[in-house]
Amino acid sequence: MIEVVDLVKHYRASDGGVVKAVDGVSFGVAAGEMVGLLGANGAGKTTTLRVLATLLKPTSGTAVVGGCDVCTDPVGVRQRLGYVSATTGVPDRLTPREVLDSFGRLHGLEPAARRARVEQLLDVLGLRSCADRPAGRLSSGQRQRVSLGRALVHGPPALVLDEPTNALDVVGARDLLELLAELRSAGHAILLSTHRLHEIEQRCDRFVVIHGGRVVAAGTRQDLVAAAPAGGPATLEAAFFAVIETRGLGASS
Amino acid sequence: MTGAGRNRPGGLHAALAIARRDLVEFVRDRRTLVVTLILPVAMYPMLALSTALGLRTAATEIQVERAPARIAVVLSGDGADALARRITAADATARRRPRSVWPAQIRLETVTAAEAKRRLDAAEADVWVDVPADCDRLLDGAGTVELPVSWAAKPPPPARVQEQFTAVMTEVADEARRRRLSAAGVPAAFLEPVRLTFPGETAAAAAPKQIVPIVAGGVLVLLAVLTLTGAFYPAIDAIAGEKERGTIETLLIAPCAARDIVFGKFLAVFAITLVTLVVNVASIGATAAVAGRYLPAGLSLELPRGVVWPAAVGVAAFTGLAALASATCLAVTTAAKSGKEAQNTLTPVILLVSALAGTALLPGMRAASPVAAVPFAGQVLVARTAFDEASGGVAGPLAATIVSSLLLTWLLLGVTALMLTDEDILFRGPDAATKGLARPSRRERPTVVEGVVPLVAGLAALWYAQGLTPDDLTLAIPLQQVLTVLGPLALVVWWQRVNLVRTFSVRWPGGMPLGAGGSGRHVASLTACLGGAGLVGAGLFGIGAAALLAVKGTALSAEAEDLNRRLLHLMLERPGWLAWCLMAVVPAVCEEFLFRGWVLAAFAGAGASLRRLAVAVVAQAACFALFHLLPERMPQTFALGIALGAMTVATHSILPAIVCHLVHNSIPLGLVALAGGRAALAAAAEAGGSTTDLTGIPPWGVAAAVMGMVCGVALFAVGIRIAHTAGSSKGDDA
Repeated sequence: MIEVVDLVKHYRASDGGVVKAVDGVSFGVAAGEMVGLLGANGAGKTTTLRVLATLLKPTSGTAVVGGCDVCTDPVGVRQRLGYVSATTGVPDRLTPREVLDSFGRLHGLEPAARRARVEQLLDVLGLRSCADRPAGRLSSGQRQRVSLGRALVHGPPALVLDEPTNALDVVGARDLLELLAELRSAGHAILLSTHRLHEIEQRCDRFVVIHGGRVVAAGTRQDLVAAAPAGGPATLEAAFFAVIETRGLGASS
Repeated sequence: MTGAGRNRPGGLHAALAIARRDLVEFVRDRRTLVVTLILPVAMYPMLALSTALGLRTAATEIQVERAPARIAVVLSGDGADALARRITAADATARRRPRSVWPAQIRLETVTAAEAKRRLDAAEADVWVDVPADCDRLLDGAGTVELPVSWAAKPPPPARVQEQFTAVMTEVADEARRRRLSAAGVPAAFLEPVRLTFPGETAAAAAPKQIVPIVAGGVLVLLAVLTLTGAFYPAIDAIAGEKERGTIETLLIAPCAARDIVFGKFLAVFAITLVTLVVNVASIGATAAVAGRYLPAGLSLELPRGVVWPAAVGVAAFTGLAALASATCLAVTTAAKSGKEAQNTLTPVILLVSALAGTALLPGMRAASPVAAVPFAGQVLVARTAFDEASGGVAGPLAATIVSSLLLTWLLLGVTALMLTDEDILFRGPDAATKGLARPSRRERPTVVEGVVPLVAGLAALWYAQGLTPDDLTLAIPLQQVLTVLGPLALVVWWQRVNLVRTFSVRWPGGMPLGAGGSGRHVASLTACLGGAGLVGAGLFGIGAAALLAVKGTALSAEAEDLNRRLLHLMLERPGWLAWCLMAVVPAVCEEFLFRGWVLAAFAGAGASLRRLAVAVVAQAACFALFHLLPERMPQTFALGIALGAMTVATHSILPAIVCHLVHNSIPLGLVALAGGRAALAAAAEAGGSTTDLTGIPPWGVAAAVMGMVCGVALFAVGIRIAHTAGSSKGDDA
């Protein structure tokens, strides 16, 4: 469902130099699969996700979502992709119902289908009790669920989430990840980035570790743990540290 | 869900969805509500109330000042009774005529002098007249009666009482004059050879004065400014606010083009701006209806030909203004990353645009089609003209302003769409907004914009220096050079951190560094180049002066005449070395560093092609000519600028240009010497002869100038040739 091949994204730095934010990244996410994109700050995770969401144009390489290329068919990608940015991305003065309804309109849903979809999402996401309250007065967890609902309103087969549990407490994070697990079971292809490895350790099917704009490790939890030096704790976090410490810290530029 | 119950996304459908979503957000923003609804509703009544109160106070004061007074007059002396009779008779006669200055009532009393003085001191009377006994006889005879008049001291009577009493006594004198003429057998008409009559005077005076054309300009400018402020908060909220809240990314991944998003946001901002306009117009109308009842007599708020046509023109023009204001505010705030940053960017733009709208109030501005197309000023001008002139005259300008508004709006929306998806703008750091003002990193040469900055600053300084510059050029030239050339140049050079040697071409002709020693060929090259440059400068001065005299003769502008007078004063009154330094050395050095150093380097750029160099030489010469301000001198300074620029480019050195400029400016001093020296010219000036009355340069002079020019160019070319063969240009980078 999501296919990234040799993706490169360079930025122009303020001093005139070039920053290689993403430097030849390749991975894929199949339907009904949840993949965790791991990496330190500046590793290139958000840039990769923004390219997938058609917010950035790749310098080279390809990124395909549901058969649509981000360069040649960005509108097709947007119709097939739900994107949740690192910020919750919910307008403070609109209610959850209005947010979902407005994005339903943007995606061209017919009025009856749109109303039904909004009501369905309000129920699924547990937002019924606060459906008509301005988003500025919602808790972080509720806002994140509104953001997820906005990404799901058009029923996309692929979902990309940039640090979705960042502003949530443990309960909120657990609820959200359980929701994502249900979506995965429903056949969605899910790609999410996070720093909180313990939260996704048992929930993601596979992991892709990015460092310095390159993929430095990829596989299931067991693959990554097995590749880590013996003697340490058999956790995803320990495996992650082992991988990036062998590569050295800091993004290339 | 995919594919089921779905319209084709994007296009107008998406734009309307975004407009609807944004409108809901705007309406829930209290700042928008205050600017859109409360400000207009409160503003106009407050303005009208304060204006009406001011007018009423002023009218009352005028009315009181002109109102007929009650005057208490005490008369004393033996002739008091007789004068009292005459005053009573004159009062009765005058009251039968319309008089603008006449007391409401005159109370006359005849008392003793002591009683009169007491009453005056006690303020029981306004005026005391001590009448001599022969008053009656003198008035009927041919003499003049002296009447001492005393005014009450504490408090003194108002000026109108004094004025009206004087009018009464003038009437008494007129009556006496008529009696004298009658006694002498002269008809009364003798004193009145002309009498003016105004048959339509009564009707014309009754027509109230229309004040709408007078106040329309100010009100329309205020309306334009308030309409602009209507777009202020929605525009900030529309894109910069979305970025601040982190919602812009979610919008940009909607299945539509950036132009659809921008158009949707424009529709929402435009809707709020239109509502602001409508509320403003309604408030103006309601305020006018109320204010009309309280206007002083003789003033009217009604339009002579009704309100429909001017209002229709105004609405059409201001709808264009609202669209343009919305698009402008959106475009200006798109690059901002937060609401605060957008506010900081938009505020000065709003002030500038308001000033532009205010230009419609300038005297003599009328809505001709080209002027009507000027954004923000044109719309106000068209509406103002519609309220002021016959209805047929604004159709063309109205069309021009609407077309201009739509075109500019479309262009601005296009730019906004480009900026919205620009990755650098969308995901830049927080300090990028001030990047343009940040001190740049070190580099070889300035950019074109940076090259123009000291010129603009210099011209601005020149404007202000006019008020400071003394008439004496001994002080004026250094002050002007420091304020307009060296000051701006030094500041820009310090700020820009460019390579000074390369930018200013500070080296020997051919590119050799100044500190490097030279061979015989180098010395020959330098001598030929500088000698040639000097000859070119002298020749150019001679040819330029001859051309100027041939074309204009002595019919120079007052400014040019004044400059000539001051230059002659400098040459005749000051020591020769000082005059030479001020007229030649200082301008040659300062202006060459600015124009052939900084400006030429900026226009030429690094690694310039021949075509770019040619354009750079012409452009800097145009700037050089413009900088000299006097139109008469511009052709000559332009030609000089071309020559100086070409020399700098050919030799990669500023030295030949300095020498050429120096010689060019030194020629007048040389001519003074040729004319017999300073003493001879001073003597001629003292004898009354004008030293500026040149009517032409003799043919031999022109021939010598041309010859000097040709020889200079040839010598200069030889110098360059020698430099090249000497290999002095090796490794040159300019």
